[in-house]
Amino acid sequence: AIHLADDADKPPRPLRDFNEALNMWTTFQTKTQSLSMSLSSQLRLILTPSQSTKLSGSFRTGKRLNIKKIIPYIASSYKRDKIWMRRAIPTKRSYQILLCVDDSQSMGDTLNNSGSAGRLALESLVMTSRALTMLEVGQVGVLGFGTDVFVAHRLTDPFASHDAGARVLQQFTFKQEGTDMVNLLRRTIDHFRDARLTSASQGGEDLWQLALILSDGLVQSKDHARLRPLLREAMEQRVMVVFIVMDDARDAQGNAKKGSQSVLDLKEARFGSDGMPVIHRYLDSFPFQYYLIVHHLDDLPGALAGLLRSWFSEVQGS
Amino acid sequence: MDHSTESGAQVRVTFTTQEEDIQLDESKRQLLVPADIRRYGLSRILNSESMLDTNSIPFDFLVNGSFLRGSLEEYLNANGLSLETNITLQYVRSLIPPTYEASF
Ligand SMILES: [Mg+2]
Repeated sequence: AIHLADDADKPPRPLRDFNEALNMWTTFQTKTQSLSMSLSSQLRLILTPSQSTKLSGSFRTGKRLNIKKIIPYIASSYKRDKIWMRRAIPTKRSYQILLCVDDSQSMGDTLNNSGSAGRLALESLVMTSRALTMLEVGQVGVLGFGTDVFVAHRLTDPFASHDAGARVLQQFTFKQEGTDMVNLLRRTIDHFRDARLTSASQGGEDLWQLALILSDGLVQSKDHARLRPLLREAMEQRVMVVFIVMDDARDAQGNAKKGSQSVLDLKEARFGSDGMPVIHRYLDSFPFQYYLIVHHLDDLPGALAGLLRSWFSEVQGS
Repeated sequence: MDHSTESGAQVRVTFTTQEEDIQLDESKRQLLVPADIRRYGLSRILNSESMLDTNSIPFDFLVNGSFLRGSLEEYLNANGLSLETNITLQYVRSLIPPTYEASF
């Protein structure tokens, strides 16, 4: 069952004009071409397992005898005859990757405000989806979220043409009146569970599931605590969640742009039980273990590749 | 549109002022505050040590040209705006001397 099929009883979401979206896709793709290729080649090294040179296993025929199997072989009157080792072929990995893009109002207008988080998110979406498509390591889907979650591109659909890309961009207008990250995580975990079941028929492959959230990072702080158990559940389901904070408030040199403020400096005020205001850094309670702050699109390939590299070495080392 | 206060909802504000002597550092101008906050709470925040570190200056707040009456959430509701809105608050020294305030 597909949980995220468009609900018939909901009012239709506003759509961007198709030609405008097509223009955006073409412009962003041209602009980010070299970044996509850079990300793609960095990810190729990380996501595809290296050739194994070790001999292992127990087989009836093979390259070298497994000495430990000889005595049981004789003792079993030559019945336990799987005594040979072979050069192990690394299990082929396949991926299901969901790009989850924040469609809420705080992301700002993409066209009129060239410095908005929304524009940076859509450029990142184009760049990353192109890189993943070039890699051909599996399925790429796109979810949009705000108050609701919607499927902007199904995992099972090809992502090859400008038209497909434009149809994705059409759906992001940044008009949703809330940013429900709890709902997003719930639906992402469910979506991946269904997707794992339908892909299981292919068999023999090692399936990895990865969610990349592209957002300005502004979540109601009261939700931070509710997100933690969901993030644990995702980890138990072997779904990796990376939060990419679109922070356009600094230029490429890291200097603050006039009039906008980085989420890195954002503070929140609360009133203690004594009625006194207490001020904390917003990111101090941010619940995502794996997150990147991207000030400029050029930062993204290196930062994302670095994070995935350290994550893979962590899961393989344990 | 439903903005009923689930307790703990926050909204992002940007503080501005035209008075030279009470400017905030650039890095302190944006803040997440409780959505049910009113003039008095905002005034306390501005006076606090990590903001202006001033001694109880009573402030009034202009939002979109008029004085804030009621809570920020009520302002958003009345104007059909969501909690995603970044509200610009211009603060001015209150015209009402603080000693009189109790009688209002
Ligand atoms: Mg938002």
